[in-house]
Amino acid sequence: MIRLGDPRPIGRVVATEALPATPHQFHFWTATETPIGIGTIVRVDGLEGRSAYAVVMDGRAYSDLATPLHDVVAADGDPAGARAPTRRTEVRLWTAAVLRHVPEEPVQPVSLSDVWLATARDIETALRMDAYVHGDAPTGIPIGVYRGGGLTAPVSLDAGFLLGPESAHLNITGISGLATKTSAVEFILASIFQHLPRAKGTVAAVCFNVKGPDLCFLDQPTELTDEDRELYGALGVAPAPFKGVSYYAPFKADGVNLNTLRSHPDLVGSVQPLVWGLREVLDYHEVLLSRDDLDAKSDAFLDFLADRVVEKSFDDDWGNRHRVQSFADLERLFRAIFDGLEAAGRGDIWRTHHIATIRKVRNRLLNISTRCKGLVTDDGTVSDLPFGHFEDRAVYLLDVAGMDQLGQDLVFTRVVSRLREHLERRDLGVDHVVVFVDELNKYAPGDGPETYVKKMLLDISERGRYLGLVLFAAQQFRSQVHRRIVGNAGTMVFGRMDMDELATPGYQVLSPATKIKLATLPKGELMVRHPHFTQPIFVRFPRPAVLSGPMGVARFPPATDVPFEDAVVRQLVALDRRVAPGRVKDMIADRREDEVRRALLATRRARPADALAFFRASLGDAVPATAVRRAAGATTPLRSVEDPYAT
Amino acid sequence: MPRPARRNPASPVGRRPGGGRLTLSIHHRLRDALLRAGGTPGADTPRTHAAPPVHSPFAASTPIEHAAVRAVDVGGPAEPPEGTGFLDGIQRYAVAGRIGLTPVVRAVVAAAVLTRRAGALRPAQVAHEEFVVVPFARLTGAQRSALEEADLQLLECEVDERAHPILDVQAAVHVIEQRREALERQVAEAHLVEERDAWLVVDGPIGALTWRGDGPPRVLGIVKSHETQYLEGPDLEAALTLPAGHRTSVFGRATGGRGGRREAFSWYLRLWPWEDHDLLFGLVRLERPSVPEVAGEATAVSRWILAERAPLAAPDGRWDRLIYPIQQVETYLRAQAGGWL
Repeated sequence: MIRLGDPRPIGRVVATEALPATPHQFHFWTATETPIGIGTIVRVDGLEGRSAYAVVMDGRAYSDLATPLHDVVAADGDPAGARAPTRRTEVRLWTAAVLRHVPEEPVQPVSLSDVWLATARDIETALRMDAYVHGDAPTGIPIGVYRGGGLTAPVSLDAGFLLGPESAHLNITGISGLATKTSAVEFILASIFQHLPRAKGTVAAVCFNVKGPDLCFLDQPTELTDEDRELYGALGVAPAPFKGVSYYAPFKADGVNLNTLRSHPDLVGSVQPLVWGLREVLDYHEVLLSRDDLDAKSDAFLDFLADRVVEKSFDDDWGNRHRVQSFADLERLFRAIFDGLEAAGRGDIWRTHHIATIRKVRNRLLNISTRCKGLVTDDGTVSDLPFGHFEDRAVYLLDVAGMDQLGQDLVFTRVVSRLREHLERRDLGVDHVVVFVDELNKYAPGDGPETYVKKMLLDISERGRYLGLVLFAAQQFRSQVHRRIVGNAGTMVFGRMDMDELATPGYQVLSPATKIKLATLPKGELMVRHPHFTQPIFVRFPRPAVLSGPMGVARFPPATDVPFEDAVVRQLVALDRRVAPGRVKDMIADRREDEVRRALLATRRARPADALAFFRASLGDAVPATAVRRAAGATTPLRSVEDPYAT
Repeated sequence: MPRPARRNPASPVGRRPGGGRLTLSIHHRLRDALLRAGGTPGADTPRTHAAPPVHSPFAASTPIEHAAVRAVDVGGPAEPPEGTGFLDGIQRYAVAGRIGLTPVVRAVVAAAVLTRRAGALRPAQVAHEEFVVVPFARLTGAQRSALEEADLQLLECEVDERAHPILDVQAAVHVIEQRREALERQVAEAHLVEERDAWLVVDGPIGALTWRGDGPPRVLGIVKSHETQYLEGPDLEAALTLPAGHRTSVFGRATGGRGGRREAFSWYLRLWPWEDHDLLFGLVRLERPSVPEVAGEATAVSRWILAERAPLAAPDGRWDRLIYPIQQVETYLRAQAGGWL
């Protein structure tokens, strides 16, 4: 068998009138025993120093058998009969798609010459990597190794086309569980962090963990095989977990147990609560209130609330002054309006807004704090990502896997919008942010209504590269994602694919053999399309050096939910192991839960040396229980008008 | 107004408007008649031209294995010997032009031995020759000199004094055939020297081959044409009506090879059933050097030649008698000749 380094050609280009050699495609034959296959890169040296580099995209084998009937006759109709003493003459005919001509001009058909296995230098030339992996300011981001004909050669993407501004975004498609989409993104992120040159600026990643424990252990090392280590060595990437990872997760409905699978006592201390208040929600009310649900009148009232009421001193028409900072404050305002209208007998209009519109908006907004309980608080406390202080090569992971779709949409929209606002002002803290979102077909389906999330994703995909806002998205079925979002991804990555998906029109450019290879790709192998690669290239990447979700859960089993007092104790102990559980329980025994939550949040945010002392100080003096009961009594059900929109 | 065709109550088929019976009906009725008469139906393939004339229709033979030729069941196919070589040759010619009426014939001949190991055929001996054939007697000195300046080998053919546009070319072709046979002998003998213990299967009779050394070489000729009949009477009928998978008794025949008349041992072998075809369908005549052991090896050799039925040499029209490796030698040589013309 011919191997790399063998000074003999592996095949010869052939051309007939029916199968001509063209500038973009040619055919060649090889010996029956040959190391090449679909995806192998070859070189054809033509006349006058011209060379063509191509990737094998299809192969055929046939013999001189004119009709299958001849084989039947020769075997006397018995497939199990004696084998023929002579093997029929067989040809292996390959079709290759041209990656590059050198020189580039004039573009001519490929010479009918010998075909050679590509060398490592040929790979660089064929994929145009020679323009960005060498020189004074290389911008190559290793993505995997090419393997063909015994050769292992690194393949790099151009940072300028992966993170912008030339082109940007990465989209990865494949069958869940087999395509290793998450692993691929983890490896690519590690590669970016290690290889993005300082001259290209700083970079951080914001990852949304939308299912299970997938991304919950990015800071934990895992065991790698020797093959993985060899791949890391070949790619020049250090096999290490991410260093600067910040985890964020909302609370569960109890407001104190974090809604994440990274809740093992050894790890939960590194998870920051993600808690938003009224202002954070009201700015993105379009996410939560679908267009079908709200009309122009509702919209106008929401704008009124956002502009004139929230976080401002506001006087109603009955001598009351309100300062709305939380959902509880908002509820008090609504009640004052309803009671005032009823007492004054002034009919159904308040400040040009009909009472039915007000009731409708009230029900929808207050319902949000119920549906997103744990994320949205009604007490005004906020715990958010460090917008404006993002750190270079840091990962900000938002674990929203335990939230319902509405909450995930809200988190995604608000975080990405804030990222965009800061990047536009150039005050985020980093120059580039990679936003990784899985299950893209859920957020930006090709069909269905035009949601706010979809519009925002479209905006990122079309304009994000100028800002440094880069979308790394994954989905099982690329055909079900909005075409403009997929089409704007400069780099496309494909893992093992479903045959039904491959039968959709988006894959017509692939040869049948390439589709078969895609449908049978082993774990760890990907097909990559990149602006510099004129044809898809198959690469292999190592397992990420971080603990996978399932392994992480096995090694760090999530803690079970505990009663409120015990949860407070657990979180304080995670911050400071000297904290005595009994003292904490005594401290919070007669306190309102919202006060305790607020103090706990402040302690977590400050991470003081003496957690218990800080917690006690944050908790402040106790408020008499009677006063609390009286305040709670203010939210009695309405009596005047039956709410037609109550759910 | 034409009357509708009437059915003949004695016949299951009707008549053509012109009155003739349908061809299908004739075929079946004749077939039935042949069977009733104890005959064997043939393929009944329509032909339009007479078969070419037979130059040597009969020749003598001597019984070797049995006093009277009989059919021997060889017992089915058996695995052929490893490392067997297969020999064939090709010739191509073209009338390059004429000097007056005299043809100048350009030709190429080639011969090769492909050896088979592990089922794969690989070239072992290859030779080719390109030349020009012309009747020197018809050329002037200046004309011959002009041809010699083409830097091609010039061969002479003998022609009658009276020019004939076809016979003159045939005379050149006769020379070409002789050169091809000589080339075949050359590669065969070279192969026999290098692979003395291996079998060499030759396309055609072995009469022209010579070999050196002790004992008979493992040479086997496969003759597909049956112009010359060496048997007669019941022996001939036994040979030409052999059932599939049977051979005849071994007999001897004169070969007329180089160095005087010699004898080859021969026998017929039926590769495919001839019923529904014709007598010569699937019938080959095998030849071996005339040494006593040959008769004892005839059945074993026949068995592995039976195995050579697969792969089928189709779509070649001679597939019933042509074995695939021999066809491959021819294909190889044709491919080598490539765009000779």
